[in-house]
Amino acid sequence: MDKTGGILNKEKNFVSAVVYLRNDEQRAGDFLRALARVLSDNFLSFEIICVNDACTDGTIAAVKAAIGGDVVTSIVHMSHYQGPEAAMNAGIDLAIGDFVFEFESVSMDYDPGLIMEVYRKALTGYDIVSAAPKGRGKLSSRLFYLLFNRYARVQYALFGESFRVLSRRAINRVHAISKTIPYRKAVYASCGLKVGSIQYPKKGAARSKNAGAKRRELAVNSLILFTDLGFSLAKWLTAIMILMTLFFGGYTVAVYLSASPVPGWTTTMLLISAGFFGLFSILTVIIKYLSILTNLVFIQQKYIIEGIEKL
Amino acid sequence: MNYSRIIIGAGFYGLYAALVCGGQGHKTLVLEADGAPFARATYINQARVHMGYHYPRSLSTAKKSRDYFDRFVEDYGFCVHSTFEKIYATSAAFSWTNTDQFMKFCADAAIPYEPVPAGRYFKPGMCDGAYLTTEYTYDAALLRDHLLEQIAKNPDIEIRCNAQVTAIERTGGAYTLTCAGGAAYSSDFVLNATYASVNQILAMLGEDPFPIKYELCEIILCQAGEELRNRGITVMDGPFFSVMPFGKTGLHSLTSVTFTPHLTNYAPLPGFGCQSHCGGSCTPQLLGNCDSCAARPETAWPYMSNLAKKYLRDELGFTYESSLFSVKPILKASEIDDSRPTVIRRHSSDPTFISVLSGKINTVYDLNEVLTDG
Repeated sequence: MDKTGGILNKEKNFVSAVVYLRNDEQRAGDFLRALARVLSDNFLSFEIICVNDACTDGTIAAVKAAIGGDVVTSIVHMSHYQGPEAAMNAGIDLAIGDFVFEFESVSMDYDPGLIMEVYRKALTGYDIVSAAPKGRGKLSSRLFYLLFNRYARVQYALFGESFRVLSRRAINRVHAISKTIPYRKAVYASCGLKVGSIQYPKKGAARSKNAGAKRRELAVNSLILFTDLGFSLAKWLTAIMILMTLFFGGYTVAVYLSASPVPGWTTTMLLISAGFFGLFSILTVIIKYLSILTNLVFIQQKYIIEGIEKL
Repeated sequence: MNYSRIIIGAGFYGLYAALVCGGQGHKTLVLEADGAPFARATYINQARVHMGYHYPRSLSTAKKSRDYFDRFVEDYGFCVHSTFEKIYATSAAFSWTNTDQFMKFCADAAIPYEPVPAGRYFKPGMCDGAYLTTEYTYDAALLRDHLLEQIAKNPDIEIRCNAQVTAIERTGGAYTLTCAGGAAYSSDFVLNATYASVNQILAMLGEDPFPIKYELCEIILCQAGEELRNRGITVMDGPFFSVMPFGKTGLHSLTSVTFTPHLTNYAPLPGFGCQSHCGGSCTPQLLGNCDSCAARPETAWPYMSNLAKKYLRDELGFTYESSLFSVKPILKASEIDDSRPTVIRRHSSDPTFISVLSGKINTVYDLNEVLTDG
């Protein structure tokens, strides 16, 4: 790595770094200083875009104190708390780099040099490269990835990531695929371009977990939108019900032939069986329609911003 | 020496005023700080002859631009480049306007627009609307030569270059202006047409400054590729860019809302950090010419070109040629609606002192009113 700052050795590609900020005044300053150092050591031109997801503590003040005048920095102020997905989408929309780094957390549990490793791996032919901590994550997130990877219709398996780099081509591709992007990771994994990752051993710092509520909502939404989970579940339940009605239909006929039931019982039972059979068949069709519709139109999830501030 | 009219600043507004005054038979003097006329804002800007598209948040500015557009093109058609395809587009993200609002605005302002497919010019998803519009660009050098030719025909008009006004004094019924070097001129009618230096002149007079902020701006000149050559493209309305023919020079100007301003100053007088290492040629009291300054900033080409490349289809390419720098004053009141009013302020009558501040070439006709009634 070039630490001397020789212009000839620096990367000519323009990179953007989008950083998600949500009430993390303790770490935001150090993170941005470290990030700015890595980028200015290695790139001729770059920009940092901070997305302020309605921070209520001193995070933004810490960011302003950490960023010197010579680093081109913009802050996107979200109007109200909208969660990392909407906020990061806003930041990426503003980024102009040939390559765009996404940092969803300002906790740096990796060596800053990893940022360049990830970038260099991208240069070897990957449109999307992520950095993933080695080892086991939280139980809830392990369960999510297990379910997701089992049922999702995406090209690559998902796993917990710290940050990633995207090529402009990947961003354009993602925009061309869908107008709204409810879960970036899933769209990236299914955009058809080459995706790579680098695993690293975690250092001390704990991951920030301040976006909890939105995260859970996102997990459920993603499972419904990107996986067959809901549809398969409904399909199996309906099949079981249909089988049960068929069984009762058969049982009614058998009772009518072998024993002599109370008058009217057979007609009632046959009507009920036939009626439920028809109902469940219609339900199957409706569920199929619904699953097709969710595939066609993702839930509208546009963001609202308050303004863009250039530092 | 005594003159009937003194005009400070040999930009377009200054020379236009000189011709009007000279035409009325007044003995007129134009004082210019630089070595030649048209060395700053008149030359260093996007060279747009505004029809109004640029102001979707200010219908009044748009209507005024439209009204003066035809008049300017009629009077100065020789310097106007009109035979290119001018595209306005609304960005899909971050725009203060969208395709429906923009069309409504054009209809309200009665300016022509024709929707065209955004995909013809932009990458997928970047713009939600694109319009073929009627907007031209003027060539500052041709305009300057024409005005100087007219002025040369009138012996009543005199232009003095390298004459930076350093002091102004009101003595009896006249103002006396002292220039660097000691020469003094007086008149009972002075017009301050110095644009970025308007408050510096007012400070010499002890008058209240205009509420302005200053931006040190860079206009990039570039060579347009085959597909872009006969086109001008402006993406609205927010942190976007414009790339369009630069007069009849054969070059394109490239500007961006975010990266064109390098430095910003909110004080009444234009103080910038770079003034400390410019070698004394520029101070908050006497602004130098940024374009010929050794301390001018490094180009923002990587930023502006990347922003444009992000939006434009790869076929619409361009390459770097050179950069122009100058200071631009922006009325603070216009931040919200982004309007660009032409402000004319009369500080005194008998003797008369008038200041004009305008960011648009074709609203020059606003001056007529104050020039005719003296």
